[in-house]
Amino acid sequence: MATTAARIPAKRTTLEESRGPHRVGLRRWLGPDYRMGFLFTLPIVALVLALVAYPFCYALYLSMTQKYVGMPAVFVGFDNYVKLTFDGFFRRAVYNSFIFTGGSVLIKLVLGMGMALVLTSAIRFRSFWTGVLLIPWVAPTVVSALNFLWIFDYSLGVLNYLLVKVFGILPQGIGWLSEPGTAMASVIGVNVWRGFPFFGISFLAGMKAIPAETYEAAAVDGANVLQRFRHVTLPGIRNILIIVILLSTIWTFNDFAIVYILTKGGPGGATSVLPVFTYEMAFGAQRLGEAVAAALYMLPPLAFVIIVLSTHMRRGKKQ
Amino acid sequence: MPARPALGRKMRSKAGTERMQSALSYAILLTFLLFVIFPFYWMTVTSFKSEEQMRSLVSMFWPSPFATENYSQLLKKTDFVSWFKNSVIVSVSSTLLATAIGTIGAYALARLRFFGRAFMASAVLITYLVPPSILFIPLYAQIRNLGMADSLTGLIAAYPSFTVPFVTWLLMGYFESIPEELEEAAMIDGATRFGAFYRIVLPLAAPGLLAAGLYAFTQAWNEFLYALVFITDVKLRTLPVGLSSFITGDVYGWGYLMAGAVLTTLPVIAAYIYLQKYMVEGLTAGGVKG
Repeated sequence: MATTAARIPAKRTTLEESRGPHRVGLRRWLGPDYRMGFLFTLPIVALVLALVAYPFCYALYLSMTQKYVGMPAVFVGFDNYVKLTFDGFFRRAVYNSFIFTGGSVLIKLVLGMGMALVLTSAIRFRSFWTGVLLIPWVAPTVVSALNFLWIFDYSLGVLNYLLVKVFGILPQGIGWLSEPGTAMASVIGVNVWRGFPFFGISFLAGMKAIPAETYEAAAVDGANVLQRFRHVTLPGIRNILIIVILLSTIWTFNDFAIVYILTKGGPGGATSVLPVFTYEMAFGAQRLGEAVAAALYMLPPLAFVIIVLSTHMRRGKKQ
Repeated sequence: MPARPALGRKMRSKAGTERMQSALSYAILLTFLLFVIFPFYWMTVTSFKSEEQMRSLVSMFWPSPFATENYSQLLKKTDFVSWFKNSVIVSVSSTLLATAIGTIGAYALARLRFFGRAFMASAVLITYLVPPSILFIPLYAQIRNLGMADSLTGLIAAYPSFTVPFVTWLLMGYFESIPEELEEAAMIDGATRFGAFYRIVLPLAAPGLLAAGLYAFTQAWNEFLYALVFITDVKLRTLPVGLSSFITGDVYGWGYLMAGAVLTTLPVIAAYIYLQKYMVEGLTAGGVKG
């Protein structure tokens, strides 16, 4: 083993020497694999620049202009941001976004943990059930939103049918999506339905990586089920927990399809979350500048979450 | 001897708690399954119901009579077939594009040593995390300036903005898990770096490529916001936008809407059932590992 290990670098130096001093110099500055490295990452770099970096900078510029569709932009500085700060509809959208995101992520966390714990317990056909429980995550969001739109339907929907006719819990049906009191809860419910399997499957992967001996040692030391969960399971999946919560926070905060299809932000703005507000501002009111400002308004906290999250994800990958 | 009955009782009670626990597990599992499956069951049942049955609320949970009129109406009287075709074109081309770009990029970022590698790896991850709701307006303006608004090309060009970073990130983890010694051995035997990548690493990473490609496909297939904003021509809609345009508040629309929902879900679910193992592994390995 030692001889082969010693031979590898030896052979590399001879190769490098044979290619002349100029190339060795470039290699020293740009790294040994720079040619293939640059070639292979060129498409990604071009793509990120064209489809993310440039639009992002353009968005920053647009947000400081007064721009209507099909008209030239007029630079107005931070006017749009100031205007939005005192705009009641925008403030409500921000508030709604926080309720929507906070509520959804919290419930997904609880359900996902439940799902992972059930799937780590001694049950039969575990991988089959895991696969079935992940289906909402794979299915098209729009289809799921339409399914729930139909389920929530006031007069012919199955939810009211079950609650009134089958179980007799309610004397009469509820307009789930048309009453302010239930609309937000309903859209949160659909987001939870779609998103909790991702929490579950991620926690499950983390729990599987915890060695069984750790649990046995804890049990020998007299730890009960709750204590083992608190002191073995939770620390064991800590990094995954952080990653999943932050990822889901970003995704939920920016979820457009579910709310747009179920309520379009209604009734009376009760479920108007930021992405829907932005869309309506841009393509309903045709005010692009203000719409982009609304989309970018939450950039500072978002950037913070993204930086924390990417640090954790890179650390997770190295382990 | 007095210890024995006590021990027996303790063991029996332990077996009892275990049985209780497993019963509880199955009960919770059943609740989860009902919660997850019911909307799909309901969608399928609805798609086979006749108009009269839906209006009269009879035999709520099973079609009676079993009607296929929703499907024939959907295929004959709506643009569903063109939407399906559009979705296939857009999803397949953007998936191929994303997988090709992502594969070589991920290999370079995971394995090769060159200037700017760490920075690029972070940039890809951050790009993956930037949500479309921030980018859709400037992207729309950009696509329109390039004359690609209201065309499938515009969507094919825009979808890599979210599929490529994801595929790259997922495959970086995959390539890192393949032992580097294999490539080194091949290179000692005279293979070039590219030869080692092409002949040794790519075949080993095939399951990962498959998982990544499938994810890219489902993401493109399910995408809604860009397709809604970029496309105005009814004939050029993709399935999610087309289906959502059926919502008219009209009672009779639900039958063929649900038939369309079934047909839109099937390709994704079929791919998922067939390759479930890879997809679950890919998700947990690439997205969140640690």
